[in-house]
Amino acid sequence: MNWTRLHPGWAMFAAMIGLLLFLWGMALPLAAMPAPIGPAAEQFAEGARITVGLTLIAGSAGVLIGVLAGLGKLSRFGPLRWLCDSYVWLIRGTPLLLQILFVWLALPTIMPEGVELSDFTCAAIALSLNVGAYNTECVRAGILAVPHGQIEAARALGLTPLQTFIDVILPQSMRVALPALANNLASLVKDSSLAYAISVVELTMVGYRVQAESYQPIPVFVTIAAIYLILTTAFTTLTAALEAQLDVGQKR
Amino acid sequence: MGSEAALRPIIEARAVGKRFGSFQALREVSATFLEGQVTAIVGPSGSGKSTFLRTLNRLEAHDSGEIVIDGIVLSDDIRNLNAIRREVGMVFQSFNLFSHLTVLRNLTLAPMRVRRMAKAAAEEKAMNLLERVGLKTQASKYPVQLSGGQQQRVAIARALAMDPKVLLFDEPTSALDPEMVNEVLAVMRELAYSGITMLVVTHEMGFAREVADRVIFFDEGVILEDTTPEGFFSNPGHERAKSFLSQVRHGF
Repeated sequence: MNWTRLHPGWAMFAAMIGLLLFLWGMALPLAAMPAPIGPAAEQFAEGARITVGLTLIAGSAGVLIGVLAGLGKLSRFGPLRWLCDSYVWLIRGTPLLLQILFVWLALPTIMPEGVELSDFTCAAIALSLNVGAYNTECVRAGILAVPHGQIEAARALGLTPLQTFIDVILPQSMRVALPALANNLASLVKDSSLAYAISVVELTMVGYRVQAESYQPIPVFVTIAAIYLILTTAFTTLTAALEAQLDVGQKR
Repeated sequence: MGSEAALRPIIEARAVGKRFGSFQALREVSATFLEGQVTAIVGPSGSGKSTFLRTLNRLEAHDSGEIVIDGIVLSDDIRNLNAIRREVGMVFQSFNLFSHLTVLRNLTLAPMRVRRMAKAAAEEKAMNLLERVGLKTQASKYPVQLSGGQQQRVAIARALAMDPKVLLFDEPTSALDPEMVNEVLAVMRELAYSGITMLVVTHEMGFAREVADRVIFFDEGVILEDTTPEGFFSNPGHERAKSFLSQVRHGF
């Protein structure tokens, strides 16, 4: 952790390279292991790539949704505030599994003819909306933590409200919001496993299938758990380095 | 000094009123400020002097009356407002430097965003201004690494980077440790002799007496005295001003 703090740029680089090497290289050592792991090595690797894909897509979309809805909740325009409040209320108040099933089963019935959503897309949409709602509250807290004097100084210098937001409020609020956003991302890595319910072949689904064929749940699930741990470690290293990067100019 | 400058009015306040809830902060305040004039605004706390200063660049919106800055009527019209804020710089009691940016970036942000200055030109100008306030060697530091006096000098340089016609100072030395007051006053003194229009809300009576061309005394939201420093300090016209002076005079 200390090394991450001192060299955030290198830590981010290392975490990303490590993640890529792991996703495309893990099949090699896994293939050398005895059954039931060895024969299914390629399946494990593919499942991990699906899990990371879901996490990255939903994580990025979730941050975007979080910033927009977090701003909306602080808007002076009543209907917009009400809309964002309702969104967070709805998502936080219902199970993620239900949201995934809703997008998968209910959304196609109200979509226009000819628009087909893949299982992966449905899972990505549901996860984005879910993590976005939790991010909304983190971003809102971050924006509220920016001292009012910073905004007054920017406006007094002639910066427009948009420039003030992009150059002053957003970077300072992210510094506050990032630890909580990182928490949500770590949850998302694991929450993506619920996509198995709509037949997305992500990591947990791979484990379920392999143990069902081999009747050896212990080695299979231990392997799956180890892969999840490596993935969450890579993601938390990434976010911790980002945090250190943004932390400049802060009192310690 | 006032007699040497072109006696063109740059700020005109006509019957300006402002209330916060049931508290009447400003009552029909009228004053005209001439180009190149250095005005000290003094008075007890809660007298409306800071509120008056903040209405001049609309950090507070006035409720009644009219304010004209360099020929532009101050209103909610965003284009007028941005034009005025480009011409009117402000220095705050608590500095309000952008904590996530280096000293240099604090100075270049507004010229680059608002005046569309090229980066190299903005940085060259910033370095010249930092030299002027004696902080050239601190350009790459973050505000938190500087002392209060240094931060306030950076804040003055930041305001100057926009080439304002008017500089507003809102109690610029009130948040400083006593031994840092003089370094900030020295910079302000140098500025005053450079011919820029300055309005300084201050408790530094020595500064007001020595540097200002004009002293305005606020009490309970009205201007009680509007005179020369000699007139104000040696022969104040109102009882309220006399008792204020006897309260603050202990130091000299």
